[in-house]
Amino acid sequence: MAEARAGRAEYGARFKYALLLPAVLWVVAFTFFPLFSVLRYSFASYVLGRGITGYVGFANYIQVLHSDRFWHSIMVTAIYVAVSVPIEVVLGFLAAWLVNLGPSGAKGFRTVIGAPLFTMEVAIGYLGVTLFSSQGGLYATLLAHIGISIPWLSSPAGGLAAAILLDIWRWTSFVFLIVLAGLGSINSELYDAAVLDARNHWQVMWRLAIPLAWPVTTIAILLRTIECLKVFAIPFALTTGGPGTSTEVFSSTDYLTTIQFFDFGKGSAMGIIFLIMVSAIITLFFRQMRRSLA
Amino acid sequence: MTNILWVRASRASRILVYLLLSLAAVWTILPFLWAMVNSVKTVTDTFQPGAFLPFIDFTPTLGSWNEVLSDPQAVQAFLSSIVVSCGTTVFVLILGVPAAYSLARFKFPIPSNDIALWFLSQRVLPPAVVLVPFYLLLVQFRLIDTWVGLIFCYSTFNLAFAVVIMRDIFRDISTEIEDAAKVEGANAWQIFWLVALPLSLDGLVVTSVLVFAFTWNEALFASALTSQDATTFSALVLASRSTRGVDFNVASVNTLIGIVPPVILYFFVQRYLARGLTFGAVKG
Repeated sequence: MAEARAGRAEYGARFKYALLLPAVLWVVAFTFFPLFSVLRYSFASYVLGRGITGYVGFANYIQVLHSDRFWHSIMVTAIYVAVSVPIEVVLGFLAAWLVNLGPSGAKGFRTVIGAPLFTMEVAIGYLGVTLFSSQGGLYATLLAHIGISIPWLSSPAGGLAAAILLDIWRWTSFVFLIVLAGLGSINSELYDAAVLDARNHWQVMWRLAIPLAWPVTTIAILLRTIECLKVFAIPFALTTGGPGTSTEVFSSTDYLTTIQFFDFGKGSAMGIIFLIMVSAIITLFFRQMRRSLA
Repeated sequence: MTNILWVRASRASRILVYLLLSLAAVWTILPFLWAMVNSVKTVTDTFQPGAFLPFIDFTPTLGSWNEVLSDPQAVQAFLSSIVVSCGTTVFVLILGVPAAYSLARFKFPIPSNDIALWFLSQRVLPPAVVLVPFYLLLVQFRLIDTWVGLIFCYSTFNLAFAVVIMRDIFRDISTEIEDAAKVEGANAWQIFWLVALPLSLDGLVVTSVLVFAFTWNEALFASALTSQDATTFSALVLASRSTRGVDFNVASVNTLIGIVPPVILYFFVQRYLARGLTFGAVKG
């Protein structure tokens, strides 16, 4: 009897690892391998066709750190994230709150507001050109009708603003869907109690919904920040970083350095520096959010 | 489900809610409508500032639709996107679902939450950073510009995500039925395959759609790792700017074709979707 149980336990142990290990090994292999590989390239001089021709110490890093284009792309990315993520979180939360109230037609609104998450970002970037172009662009034309003319795609600030607006269009849906799930899981009895206590609607939202939906919201903020730091497709398709390189985000700079100019050494060093910066931000941020959660 | 706040809301605040939601809906839908309008214009009409309504402001034409649909490269790219996205979805499920089930049901020396968090942290690596190693790896194995090469890369990126989502879904399923099956003498594999999997069907569908959509929409790797044969639709769209500039009408057709497949899938699964996107933060 005891033997049979031990046998079964062993079978169970083998079974659970048999299910888990393929995925773990896969992820370990294909995330550590690129990381080490990038590290190696970042210290090497790479010549297309000949591969690594020698190791140059920190020369690639020093070059990147002295590159205005790199720092400019970091600044553009920082502005991009700092503007779009908070707006997406606030709008997504508000939309989820309103849909969660359950007015008639709530399902229809949910379908529509959630849809952009499934759209192709490069395509949205191009669509943006047809919206913001001063020649026949929808938004540019509509704004011109009321006397506002903004050089959307021909100025650095305009290009960045247009990209951010598209990002907000695309990604508010993500926060919306996540928060909606969070709000939906709040027990309706809690609302009944809160309504009795609160003086108005906003108080219910502030005292009840925001604290209860905070865990999911932090997940949304975290994932949104991580993804947004990696942003590439929307601004690249919209302006290709232009005019000049004025709206080039980090991913575009790194992409062009590595793939267009085949400067693998410099591109890798750039990636490592960025990875260190992102990890620092994420760690700080996550710790802060954990604290505010407690 | 109607909230008590809505039941007690005044007429004025109800109107305000509808107003705000309608505004959000219009803001969301407008670009789609504009793409449809532009897709039936001639290039000249796309530069007319006042051309909003077909038949009234301009004469619609299916010219740009014809142009895209009769372009063998576009058709090939669409096919590539379908194959790569489906292939990735299947491969991710094969690797990820058993792992997710294992994390949800069994104890490990490292807490399951930590393993899940570690899976999720793989998303921090910026794609441009890992592009070079994957590029060189695919060159080594002669997989550049192949479907297999793309499926390999996309599976790696999506696996972590799928494991975390599916783990939550398995956790939500009551273990009573599985326990009953155990009493009946079913072994661990039978319980997983014949009991747990069918019960998690909704979650499987949601996960599949998410992986499909992420793969379908990815453009950076698709354009760097393909050159001709395996070019996906997203890579084609990305490349179209440098090859022909932006012709609004053709760009609009491309936009609509590129957007439609994942959005249609979304319509089918949206009921279950929110559940899959909370990453364990909602304890249902």
